[in-house]
Amino acid sequence: MIAVATSDFASLDLGSLLMQAAQVQAVPASSLTPAGWTPAWAFWILSALVVVGAISTISQRSLISAVMSLVATFFGLAGLYATLSAHFLAAIQVLVYAGAIMVLFVFVIMVLNRDEVERVSDRGLLDKAIGAGALVYLAVRLGEVIASPVGPVSRMSKPAPEFGTVAKIGEYFFTEFLFPFEAISILLIIAVIGAVVVARTVVSRPTTSYEVPNAASGSAEGGDDHAGGDAHGAHGGH
Amino acid sequence: MQLLVQNLLSVGLHHYLILAVVLFGIGTFGVFMRRNALTTLMSIELILNGGNLTLLAFARSHQDMRGQALALLVIAVAAAEAAIGLAIVVGVFRNRHNTNIDELNLLRY
Amino acid sequence: MTENFPLYLIILLPLLGAALNLLFGRRFGNTFVSVVACSAVAGAALVATKAVLLVASELPARGALVDQLVSGDWIVAGDFKLQAGLMLDRLSSVMVMVVTWIALLIHIYATGYMEHEPDFARFFGYLNLFTGAMLILVLGDSLPVTFVGWEGVGLASYLLIGFWYHEDKNATAGRKAFIVNRIGDFGFLLGICLLFTVVGTVKYADFGSIAGRLMTPWWMGWPVGYWIAILLFVGCCGKSAQIPLYVWLPDAMAGPTPVSALIHAATMVTAGVYVVARCHTIFDTFPEAAKMTVAGVGALTALFAATIGIVQRDFKKVLAYSTVSQLGFMFVGVGTGAYTAGVFHLMTHAFFKAGLFLGAGSVMHAMGGEGDIVKMGGLGKHMPITRWTFFVYCLAIAGIVPFAGFFSKDAILAGTFAAEFRMSTQMTGAQAHLVALYPKLLWGMLATAALCTAFYMWRLYFVVFTGKFRGTEEQEHHLHESPMSMTLPLVMLAVGSVLAGLIGVPAVMTHGLPESLEHVLTFFNHWLSPAMVPASPEPHEHWLEWALMGGALTISLCGIGLAAALYRGGISETAENLKDKLGFAHKLLWNKYYVDELYDFLLVRPLRRVAVILWKVVDNLVIDLGLTKIGPYIVDSLGALVQRFQNGDVQRYIIAVMVGAAGILFGSTYWLAYQGIQGEVKVERRTVTLKLGDARMRPGQLIYAIDWDGDGKFDDTNVRFNSELKHEYGNAGQFKIVVEARDPVWNMVKRSDDWFFGASTPLSAKVE
Repeated sequence: MIAVATSDFASLDLGSLLMQAAQVQAVPASSLTPAGWTPAWAFWILSALVVVGAISTISQRSLISAVMSLVATFFGLAGLYATLSAHFLAAIQVLVYAGAIMVLFVFVIMVLNRDEVERVSDRGLLDKAIGAGALVYLAVRLGEVIASPVGPVSRMSKPAPEFGTVAKIGEYFFTEFLFPFEAISILLIIAVIGAVVVARTVVSRPTTSYEVPNAASGSAEGGDDHAGGDAHGAHGGH
Repeated sequence: MQLLVQNLLSVGLHHYLILAVVLFGIGTFGVFMRRNALTTLMSIELILNGGNLTLLAFARSHQDMRGQALALLVIAVAAAEAAIGLAIVVGVFRNRHNTNIDELNLLRY
Repeated sequence: MTENFPLYLIILLPLLGAALNLLFGRRFGNTFVSVVACSAVAGAALVATKAVLLVASELPARGALVDQLVSGDWIVAGDFKLQAGLMLDRLSSVMVMVVTWIALLIHIYATGYMEHEPDFARFFGYLNLFTGAMLILVLGDSLPVTFVGWEGVGLASYLLIGFWYHEDKNATAGRKAFIVNRIGDFGFLLGICLLFTVVGTVKYADFGSIAGRLMTPWWMGWPVGYWIAILLFVGCCGKSAQIPLYVWLPDAMAGPTPVSALIHAATMVTAGVYVVARCHTIFDTFPEAAKMTVAGVGALTALFAATIGIVQRDFKKVLAYSTVSQLGFMFVGVGTGAYTAGVFHLMTHAFFKAGLFLGAGSVMHAMGGEGDIVKMGGLGKHMPITRWTFFVYCLAIAGIVPFAGFFSKDAILAGTFAAEFRMSTQMTGAQAHLVALYPKLLWGMLATAALCTAFYMWRLYFVVFTGKFRGTEEQEHHLHESPMSMTLPLVMLAVGSVLAGLIGVPAVMTHGLPESLEHVLTFFNHWLSPAMVPASPEPHEHWLEWALMGGALTISLCGIGLAAALYRGGISETAENLKDKLGFAHKLLWNKYYVDELYDFLLVRPLRRVAVILWKVVDNLVIDLGLTKIGPYIVDSLGALVQRFQNGDVQRYIIAVMVGAAGILFGSTYWLAYQGIQGEVKVERRTVTLKLGDARMRPGQLIYAIDWDGDGKFDDTNVRFNSELKHEYGNAGQFKIVVEARDPVWNMVKRSDDWFFGASTPLSAKVE
């Protein structure tokens, strides 16, 4: 079966695999709507990976650990995409996100080479608590709605054979999504140029308002040896 | 109880949607709790992936490939966002020697 | 009757010239500007001549050439629609010919006169603009289009009077002209509006059939036509410098002399006369009180200005008062029903008054800008062309046969003498007698004015051109005849001043002449009437006509003789003695009857005081201290409150977004459901009516389940939103009613007996 899957990308459909598995598991047919198609264990394992990875990402003190957690999350997500018959997206997720973007993050972290001293600032904790409360309320209410039997019933049917193929996505990009596709390419070019411009080492820099004037005169070659960071304190804080 | 077993054994659209909500929530929580700009960027990636997950789940549920096409565009935007965001972080760090976003408030009143 | 012709060309060419000169003239130099300006006007003059020839040869007497100015509707406001078109008939032909050809001569003259002017291009741009606007005024086929031109010439006049705006005096004169004209224009506009309201048309072509509607009694028992005529005449008073709005014209001499010649002598100021002739139907409304007003104001102005002209020392001021006076003549002409005579005088006056001004310009050019005639003298031998052309103009304006002024002025005088105003038949004998005497009174005033005219014009001539030079030696050394570009128009206008009158010779003088010659000599008399305007009143007896003519000529000769006696060969001692002896009269006239001072006292100062109060109280206190301080204070304090949220902290922003999203979700679901479970119970025996929900809710948002007897089981389920529900109870007792509202989209369920945010009043029913 795996041999078949590797030879034919489209048949790597975990959904159809698990549809059979679900029937094998002898769940009473009457209690299930007919199209229980995803292997439930796959979903649960992958979603556990995603949730744990995400929580780890935002709670790690070490930035490298956070990035690694994020990579794990993305791999989990790629798996979930695959269960949704989005194989191409899964591959892109691994290539672009877990690969390129994360490498970028790692590079930046290595360039900066600083771990966080203090994960959460003790300022504005009340605000943050309020925000967290609002967030929890939103999430619970949304979950409630999603999970409610009244809402759109969610059992998924077996997809059409061409669903999720690269050819189909390509077709969309050359027809209906042509303009967004082109716009995105322009956006990427702008991003590339913008990133270079923003991150470039500035040789001579005009004095900005938050700099101490006499410090600026001594930092013609720019970069690292000026008092800009300290000058912020003079600006007043909160 | 039967319902719980059913939901454990058979996975459908709402499972994915709830997972997306959770992902989105964790991401948002990270954005407003953490000080470090890099962690904030990572949290934003989580939020975007939460959105992507809903797109793909609905695409699968409605048998509509446009959701997948849209998700691809979102990934491209996310890549651009990450590149620019990281460049800004590097620029900020070069100027201020830290990347604490709660201290980046020059645009205040 | 009407025929299409590209009349728009006549307007377009000068306006194009104006645009070219104003936009690019400065860059391309004076030669370019001169060529553009003159050829634009020349083109307009040629097209206009072609059109007028068409009118004369191919169209019947009442025919007109027409053209569209704006395709479709010009102004649309609800049911109100207005078209803009152009029309050239016999009356506008006269005006168009005068305007284009005299404008052309003055343009040519100005190229010489203004040669040292640094702002050459601006001057000619304005001059072309004026010509275009004046042609719109003349060619408009309805009062609104005429009004556009009317305002356009007002603007051009303002710009040109204040052309040398670096001097405060000139800018003030421009402002004065503009403001005084505003008063008149307001009346004019009101007149147009009233006409449209009452009659429903403002097109000249329809004026033939509106006489009946104008008779409608309106305010104070007078017919509406009277009031329209008076309002229009207020506008004409402003534009044509009649009492009481004439004060701007003498000051307007602050502008360059070609401007005075073109705008303030030959064309613009005659627009009022043209409008009265054009709207004669309105002015002819029975009873003819409007005409009496027009004629009375005209005669009074003629006499008033002529007497002022006698003592003035400034060359152009004398001519300005002369213009005011001559305009008064024209208004008497059109006011007494002698429309042909009025328009004829308009035409002849355009020639010799333009010439007089150009002559004055020529003299002042030679004098280096000096305008005081007392400092001139003996200029005749230095500038012969100017002198002899000036001589011709003076003969013309004084009314010496056979020069132009004689025939036109005589036509007005004869018409005035013979005029009869048709007033109400219910007048008492004395009133009727007064009305019958009125034209004779007007005639007397005009005759006196004519005497004064002859006197002050010839005084001017003798003082300036004869005797010894009284200026400085340097000025004398500088004296010279003007260049060709200036003398050529002078000569041509002089020729015009000689010949123009010969097309309007009174019929009595042409008896017995060959028919073809007679036809030419009386051409103007039947050019307008009776096709365009009613025929002029004429004395019934030939001897009376001859006598009037002879009288007018005698009066003129007396005036000339008097002037010669006093001023020939310089200012005589008699003249000086006379001035001292008549000290009071001289002072009164010298100060122009103190009218400016009177206006200053009656109008300007009170207005200024009001303005100061407005400035100090309203502006400084209410607005500056009040509004501008309170408003910003409110904004500032609100801003101070809100800016605390603008703290630059991105994390707080996203928290705010979250709180907002949660609030929207809560508000749109929970609160809605809460509103839904509110209810009002009405009991009627065993029937209970339950009124549910808030009136603001839209139906269909909630689904209800209702437990009528409080037993925990819902009796009615899946009830759609309905404002009133009825339930019949089987037996008596106290029942608890529970309502459950469900939001089907968000699955928000709310029960009225919730401990938390339940129904604000417990729902229950007591059934007997």
